[in-house]
Amino acid sequence: MEGEHVRTTADMEWRRQTDVSNVGSQWPTIDGPLGVYNEEAVKLAKSFYYGGFLLLPVLWFMNCFYFWPVLQHHEAEPLIRCYVVKSETTCMFFSVVLLGWALIFAFGGEHIFGSYWKHLAIYNIDDKYGPA
Amino acid sequence: MEKGILEMVGGEIIGIVSPVSICMLLVVLLVHTLTPHGSSTSVATIAMMIYNEQPNDSFVEKFKGGLLNAIVFVCIVMLVTFVLVGLFYFRFTKCLRVYMGFSAFTVLAWMGGIVAVELIQFFSIPIDIITFAICLVNFASVGVMAVFFCRMPIVLIQGYLVVIGMLVAFWFTKLPEWTTWILLVAMAIYDIVAVLAPGGPLNMLVELAIARDEDIPALIYEARPVLPRQISGPPPMSSSPTPARTRRWSNRRAPRNPGVGRGNSGSNSALDNLRTSNGQPTSLITEPPLAPEVGIIGSRLVSSTGDAGMLNSISTVVAGHQATESNVDEDTVPLVSHGTNNSSTAAALDGMESGMRFQGSDQGGSESEDEGLGLGVSGAVKLGLGDFIFYSVLVGRAAMYDLMTVYACYLAIIGGLGATLILLAVWRRALPALPISITLGVVFYFLTRLILDPFVVDLATHLVVF
Repeated sequence: MEGEHVRTTADMEWRRQTDVSNVGSQWPTIDGPLGVYNEEAVKLAKSFYYGGFLLLPVLWFMNCFYFWPVLQHHEAEPLIRCYVVKSETTCMFFSVVLLGWALIFAFGGEHIFGSYWKHLAIYNIDDKYGPA
Repeated sequence: MEKGILEMVGGEIIGIVSPVSICMLLVVLLVHTLTPHGSSTSVATIAMMIYNEQPNDSFVEKFKGGLLNAIVFVCIVMLVTFVLVGLFYFRFTKCLRVYMGFSAFTVLAWMGGIVAVELIQFFSIPIDIITFAICLVNFASVGVMAVFFCRMPIVLIQGYLVVIGMLVAFWFTKLPEWTTWILLVAMAIYDIVAVLAPGGPLNMLVELAIARDEDIPALIYEARPVLPRQISGPPPMSSSPTPARTRRWSNRRAPRNPGVGRGNSGSNSALDNLRTSNGQPTSLITEPPLAPEVGIIGSRLVSSTGDAGMLNSISTVVAGHQATESNVDEDTVPLVSHGTNNSSTAAALDGMESGMRFQGSDQGGSESEDEGLGLGVSGAVKLGLGDFIFYSVLVGRAAMYDLMTVYACYLAIIGGLGATLILLAVWRRALPALPISITLGVVFYFLTRLILDPFVVDLATHLVVF
């Protein structure tokens, strides 16, 4: 019994050490030891957040995706976390807006837009202006 | 837990074969969907400057025309590679990086946009131009940033490299048939010469990069290294140099032996650490030899993206239009992309990296025998993006005939790639990845098309099945 207990804890210890996923607040990025950390991570999170306002909303999504372990654990590094949480909110907001617009366009069709629908759809524009 | 040789080597091979396979699969899908019988519109590219193949030319004419096209193309690629080597030698890295970023953006935005529009037309997806423009600009910008400038998730960088390879390969499949095949063979021959001959441009590039311990400025796919041991967590914020136990990816010259204390402060002190801490390098059985990072380097390091740049500037989709003179001028600058770790930008992005330099090969000899296969030179095999592109072009062109040729060519290419990896383990220097695969691929394609295809089709039509 004692031996088993020791073995299982040793087992778990080995498992924890060789666990590739980022348990706890160990590595801030999903790449783990291959990603950024410490000051570089803070700088990157900040630049992603502010860069998203330059008409690149996908950077907000990238912030959430790259620093996913920071989002998961509430006690993770606060410096990184504040930027990532802000990116998450702006990303959600933007994607709701964009998805809503795209779905309205796709399913609304001519009913809502009238003749403008023909002007906006990609394949019509391509037929008009693209190569023959 | 010790990892066996097979686990280490198998992981490395899978890490390279998977993205190559994915790229080929995507190109086959695109070709099969959009241009199953070859491109209907003639695309004026640099590869067709001399001879524009018409379907009703004679065999000899087509062959001669294709040969001329291929020779011109190879000459231009060689010129561009020499220009790149020159720029690298004189350390115009900033200008190279900016130009390469611009070209990658053009590939992703313009070629990607065209492919996306064709797909939208094919599937009749009702998407409007505003959404499409936003998505495309974002996609292209993040792609450029991921490959050249920022630290991004590794899977994203690898994905974008595969997408760039796929787009350029799809563009190349629009070339006429004879030109494509002769071009592939010509590029395979050029690859051997450029990488192995002492005066070859790629050989010089690799030697320069090794001598200066910098990264080769090009679009290179680097597989994720197989981590031998796990590190529990990041170092505390206060310590400025990264402690030895970190392993970085891609040009962050990772100390491939996290178990041995290799500081960031400089190569010499690290070597001393190595010697004093253990007397002998005992724990290096699982660690790769300390040789400079070399992997398979395809000949398209420079030219693939160079071709893309040239293609971008002078190829037009509008049938029959020729490139204007102004466009042709700007295509001779090499579209070579910088690796993410340029010495200057690496210092800018991460001051901790500056001291990290890979050790010379003085220790490499002794423990190379321990390593077995030496594939783990840097823990990550690198493959130039041009190899992705030309493999995919071969398979895409095979897809235009029949799927049977696709399977045959795919197996041939993967077999050739495996053979090249084994040679890499044996020779441990930069090797051209194109020749074996392209030769096998071309041979298999023609054998399948001329011999196997009639055989199988006859059997099937006479209802005799295997």
